[in-house]
Amino acid sequence: MSIVELAPPAPPGPTIARPPRERTTSWPLADRIGYWLCWMVGIGLCLIATAVVLFMFVKGISYLHLDMLVQSPAASGIQSQSGGFWDPIEGTLIVAVLGTAIAAPLGVALGAWLSEYGRPSWLARMVESAIEIIAGAPSVVLALFGLIIFAQSFLGFLSQNASNGAVYGRSFFAASAVMAVLALPLVVASTREALEQLPDRLREASYALGRTRATTIRRVLLPAIRPSIATGSVLGMGRIIGDTAIIRLLLGVSLTTQGVGHVPLIGVLRGTGATLTSYVYENSRAGEGDAPQKAYAAAFVLLMIVLALNALVTWLTSGRERGGERRARLAGLRLSWVPWTR
Amino acid sequence: MRAHRTLIVSTILALILAIPAAAAGRRLIIDGSTSMLPLVQKLATAYHKAYPHVQAPKIGGGQTAIGIGDAASGRADIGDASRDPIPGVDPKGLVFSKIARDGICIITNSANPLPNLSQETVQEIFTGSIRDWSKVPGASASGPIDLFDRDGASGTQDAFQNIFLGETLRISPSATAESSEGLEVNAVGADKSAIGFVSFAATINGGVHTVNYQGIQCTLRNAKSGQYGGVRNFWMVTKGAPKGAAAKFINWVVKPGNKTVRSIVSSEWIAIH
Amino acid sequence: MAVLAFIGAMVVTVFVKAWPSFSHNGLSWFGPGGDVDEQLRAMQRDIALSGHSIYYFRAWPLLWGTLLTTVLAVLLALAISTLAAIFLTEFAPPAIRRTLDPVIRLLAAVPSVIYGLIGIEAIAPWINEHLISSHRKASVGYVVQLNGNNVATATLILTVMILPIMVAISTNAFLAVPASWREGSVALGVNRWRTIWRVSLRTARPAIIAATVLATARALGEAVMLAMVAGGRGFAPNLLDGLTALFEPARPLAATIFQNAEGLTIPVLAHTVYAIGAVLLASAAMLSLAAWASKQRLKRYGVRA
Repeated sequence: MSIVELAPPAPPGPTIARPPRERTTSWPLADRIGYWLCWMVGIGLCLIATAVVLFMFVKGISYLHLDMLVQSPAASGIQSQSGGFWDPIEGTLIVAVLGTAIAAPLGVALGAWLSEYGRPSWLARMVESAIEIIAGAPSVVLALFGLIIFAQSFLGFLSQNASNGAVYGRSFFAASAVMAVLALPLVVASTREALEQLPDRLREASYALGRTRATTIRRVLLPAIRPSIATGSVLGMGRIIGDTAIIRLLLGVSLTTQGVGHVPLIGVLRGTGATLTSYVYENSRAGEGDAPQKAYAAAFVLLMIVLALNALVTWLTSGRERGGERRARLAGLRLSWVPWTR
Repeated sequence: MRAHRTLIVSTILALILAIPAAAAGRRLIIDGSTSMLPLVQKLATAYHKAYPHVQAPKIGGGQTAIGIGDAASGRADIGDASRDPIPGVDPKGLVFSKIARDGICIITNSANPLPNLSQETVQEIFTGSIRDWSKVPGASASGPIDLFDRDGASGTQDAFQNIFLGETLRISPSATAESSEGLEVNAVGADKSAIGFVSFAATINGGVHTVNYQGIQCTLRNAKSGQYGGVRNFWMVTKGAPKGAAAKFINWVVKPGNKTVRSIVSSEWIAIH
Repeated sequence: MAVLAFIGAMVVTVFVKAWPSFSHNGLSWFGPGGDVDEQLRAMQRDIALSGHSIYYFRAWPLLWGTLLTTVLAVLLALAISTLAAIFLTEFAPPAIRRTLDPVIRLLAAVPSVIYGLIGIEAIAPWINEHLISSHRKASVGYVVQLNGNNVATATLILTVMILPIMVAISTNAFLAVPASWREGSVALGVNRWRTIWRVSLRTARPAIIAATVLATARALGEAVMLAMVAGGRGFAPNLLDGLTALFEPARPLAATIFQNAEGLTIPVLAHTVYAIGAVLLASAAMLSLAAWASKQRLKRYGVRA
């Protein structure tokens, strides 16, 4: 879905005179039904989309007070009276940042390897299919896998240990790691696409100057596709922020951030907490809180964050073609200037 | 690559920092009964206030059976159980420490303020013999009865069956099973034809109507005096006798002269001393 | 490479953890037999149901629930998205086209928990009030209770969730139909609708199939929204009930995993849940394969999907 872009409609050719708009009254009945069905569906789609967005906006704004953004949630069970959702916001930020920080370097490395090396080819194909499988796998299954890994005793320092040495296995570390796996395919796809679109002469010029393939990738190609990497990372971050299943399985079912141990940052990361998504779930009618007002407010904040990320992606993508082309053009110009040394 | 190297170095640094943290103080892990959840959370906060250098225990839910299982296998330090131990069913070697007593109320939606139910009617409704509100005297709702039950892992369900239904009768399988106390209250509060059962504490802010049982109102006073029949025990379960941090917490909770604990428990539950 | 080993390990571990459940139940794991919720509850209490091993599990109601919701949602989405794509490429005035573009992208970006929230707070109560009468309730009351959380609500919201992907890919496909083919058809005197129906649709068919496969994968993996809205009971809606079957609760596979998240510390329950996860993983892998195969065909038409 991230790779799909809606192309602008083709402009009419200047030389072909368009015939007058065909009147549908002359069509047979079946065709007319089809025509009107299309119109109904189209308008219906508009209406549904507007309804969803408007509903969330109206409900969200009516229940959102600014102090909710900075207060912690109250003790469970009395959600509707007091408290805010600062802890869930904190949780969302932690998971998003940590998950993307893990996924981005890995994804870029994988994408670069796949597009530049790709040998032996059976390995490359397997890696490709593996990434496809991850992209299509439900997030619950990824979370299940994460549970197995992080419940192993040698990874106990990443979460808590209970009395008999059984590892609790749920923490921000665990959730972020699995989220990284979730975001990986998006980053890989963006990187690969962008690398494949770079003109060959960049690479050839770099080799001609005596650089190895690895250095070329690192110094020439990757900087050239920086916007694409950014796009992929932001898309991955969007996917991470919107996911609830992994959080529910791997971050415990609490509403406040509860750290472990006394070390400042690591303590929080080893502990459990909530994110906006699990907070919305817990406060809806399906969860314990039964504070739909809070759920709507939190959902509104979540929606705003996701929309902001989407706008960011659109902005990055619109600049991408121009930036990349410009760079490639400049690179070509620059290279044609340089007298061949060596 | 450079990005990789920075990542590896920072990860190693983080791990090095984490190791002493692993050795330092751990929190107690407590999970189990969802009916006990509000009580144990309040106790945990008060415990941390009384002993600031000890981190407050971490409380989870999951229902009684999960709590007992986790205590037995060591995944949790203490398990919360809202039903009495069952000899053949519970794992061996567990020690149950009573911390409070609690009343179970039958609840209906506030649009259906049922005044009273006899034991016979309760049994008929919950086993499914009576399916329609028209057959229940005093009901303002009409149409089919929506039964709400608790999950199989729930201690409240066990207690309800033993106290209200007796040994042989079982709740109708067509009832909707909710997996926690909060969900049960929500469900009954949202459905006009609903009837269910929860602990007394959950009815305080719940927005549901509590039904008198056998003519006695379901209040804390009636439960304390013994007039109201539906009272059950709250236990904290450990594998073997409580040890270490768990022992400190449990001893603090059950100590006879502890005024803080007594005032917390007496607010919505029945103290054992 | 390390990533490959990681993914291989993931697949292997899930299947290894799932094996006990499969080995104790054999192929009848997939069959019907008893109440799924009962079986899960028995595992939670760590006691065996009478006459069976503690691993006893018959997943058919879950499989049937998944099948019902997924197939209905995909079929509905297919019809709607094709018509919508035709609308967007052929009939829509440019103003509508320009507004609908970002709107569809927005729909695709909304997290599933928000869809679940809207469903459970707004749509389910509405359906409960208006479409489920006392008579309908009483007709199945001895087996199951009806409320707003049912197959119908779940299917509706699932359709809205998978529409954006399908509309986007279908639109791309229709735009990629060579203009000369369409103009040739119009030149022969065929009216626009028939041109679209006969020429464009047939050309776009591979892309639409690819879109359907992608959408099915998304629908299969949807756990949160369905856990909130589909009813939460492992009940197999009985088609013999007629239209009432749409109002019966169900619980697809992914939602089952989600709802049993807290019980995963119990070994037997864990094995069963992992078995469900293995089934999901296998179907996701098969769908990925199908998607890859259909995308290969797409490359001929130069459609990016």
